[in-house]
Amino acid sequence: MSGLRVAAVFRRIVLQFRRDPRSLALLFAAPIAIIALLGWVLSSQQTLTARIAIVDEASGPTAQLVTSRLQSVLGGQTGIVLDRSVTDDSSARQALKDNQLDLVIVLPPDFSAENRKIELLTLGLNPTAEASVLPAVQRSLITTVAESAVGAALPTFERATVYGSPDATTLDTLAPVVVGFFVYFFVFILTGISFLRERLGGTLERLLATPVSRAEIVLGYSLGFGFFATLQVTLVLAFVLARLQIPALGPVPAFALGLGVRTAGSPLIAYLLVLILGLGAVSLGIFLSTFARSELQILEFIPIVIVPQGVLGGFFWPIDQLPALLQPVARILPVTYAIDGLRQVMIAGADMTSGQVLMDLGVLVAIAAVFVTLAVTTIRREVA
Amino acid sequence: MTTSAAPAKPAPGGPPAVEAIALRKSFGEIVAVDDVAMSLPPGRIYGLLGPNGSGKTTLIRLLTGLASPSSGTARVLGVAMPSRANLSHIGYMTQSDGIYPELSVWENLTFFAALYGQTNKADLHRTLELVELDKRAGTPAAQLSGGMRRRLSMACALAHHPQVIFLDEPTVGVDPALRIQFWDHFHRLAAAGATLLVSSHVMDEADRCDELLFIRDGRVLAQGTPGDLRSRAGTDNLETAFLSFAGGPAGSAATASETVR
Repeated sequence: MSGLRVAAVFRRIVLQFRRDPRSLALLFAAPIAIIALLGWVLSSQQTLTARIAIVDEASGPTAQLVTSRLQSVLGGQTGIVLDRSVTDDSSARQALKDNQLDLVIVLPPDFSAENRKIELLTLGLNPTAEASVLPAVQRSLITTVAESAVGAALPTFERATVYGSPDATTLDTLAPVVVGFFVYFFVFILTGISFLRERLGGTLERLLATPVSRAEIVLGYSLGFGFFATLQVTLVLAFVLARLQIPALGPVPAFALGLGVRTAGSPLIAYLLVLILGLGAVSLGIFLSTFARSELQILEFIPIVIVPQGVLGGFFWPIDQLPALLQPVARILPVTYAIDGLRQVMIAGADMTSGQVLMDLGVLVAIAAVFVTLAVTTIRREVA
Repeated sequence: MTTSAAPAKPAPGGPPAVEAIALRKSFGEIVAVDDVAMSLPPGRIYGLLGPNGSGKTTLIRLLTGLASPSSGTARVLGVAMPSRANLSHIGYMTQSDGIYPELSVWENLTFFAALYGQTNKADLHRTLELVELDKRAGTPAAQLSGGMRRRLSMACALAHHPQVIFLDEPTVGVDPALRIQFWDHFHRLAAAGATLLVSSHVMDEADRCDELLFIRDGRVLAQGTPGDLRSRAGTDNLETAFLSFAGGPAGSAATASETVR
């Protein structure tokens, strides 16, 4: 291992990158733009008014009691508009189709004191959005039924959490995930394409004709892209964590720069996690460039390499909620451990004494080591 | 043009600069290099001549250790290839330019030189003068003409003053005046003790070599000085001589009628 040769490879990558404004923009401007957009959407999500109708098909005494109770409870809730003009099932369905209603509470014909099953009918075009109406309705139903049984007002609930605050926005919990994911994605793409260019441009052939070793090439690449990944993480973390109020200036209204996400733990550990993740991505990029013939084919690896990590890595759903068959898959993906570690640090405020964080770091190091080995052994291979 | 520092003169009676023993490389069914044997003493220019696809590049890749042989041995300066340590004595100008278009001329040169441990700036500048790119040191390689890129590629292969230099079609796209300068420099390098193996498919360059190797279908058909090969084939024309050794017009499936080693 020669420091001079590693430094030469490192220096060359930094020089090449500095001359490539497009890649620089991809590395620095794109994540900021995407995170800003995400932050904007998540922080000011419109609370929709739910238009609800109650259809009583049973008309028995129990049904009538429930209907009137529901009407009084739902009618008094903010964000809910009760439509009393729709009273039968077919006109309710038509109103849903015509986008005049969001949800219909149906008391089916066989509804009675013994069979108390109530149907909640929505359109079904966008289940997630429609489901957001349900909690309010269910609360009302519980209140209605319970109050008729107890005959007195119910106790109220207040949520508390061990970590963070119960009113933490989706943004606070998503931010750590987004940081980890972007680093992985961009570092992989840029390394993959850079290394493919080495193969196609004949420079790799020339490199291998010099005394430089494959390990020195991979190390130089890791340092080079690690350098840019560090800059990227610094910028992205600063943007996510800081919040700078910019006052109104002339026609430009006041706005805030940065998302101001609260982090409980040390940003340095978050940094370390993301950096090790990035180093793994460098080697994965080098390794997979062996199997590509063109830059387009590097992009074709995205559905295979990046998307599963996004779907399974804990970005949307906790690992424990995944189908049993997919859980082991999720547990070998590096992003899974980066996301877990970042959540531990940024939300739970874990430090280096936390077994969970150490485990995440350890697994990330191990995965990076596997990718580095793969990269070193495949460098000599011809373009697939 | 300035002459640059000369490589160490090889000791007389030392091992051949380049040696191949029953060297063979096949890719599946295709035999790219077929049982090649050669022993090239140092300090001369050897021309590797043959049509496209005759196995010249594969042979060079075997000799530089970039490819591993299916069987047989390749030695450079007495050391069996592949040997990473030995690569610091070897220069290789690839057929494609193999330079970084984003980097400037100077950055390309210093990068490859640094990999060989050559960081002497004054000496690197002399190498640039040699290929007449010293006025272009700051120009990004992407903005160079094809001939200039070829010159930069050559500078990158020579910057560390190798003892054995493999040049794969070095003069393609280089204008005639510069081509003459290239060859003059090759002769100076050889006079200083370097061994050069220059591949070409252009016969008019063959006369500038000290010795020629005719190669076709992965086999060495004949080896000798240009004059020797001419007289053996009974012709003044090297192209005709090549065809006579190949045993028929180019493109026919004729195999070697004579193999001289």
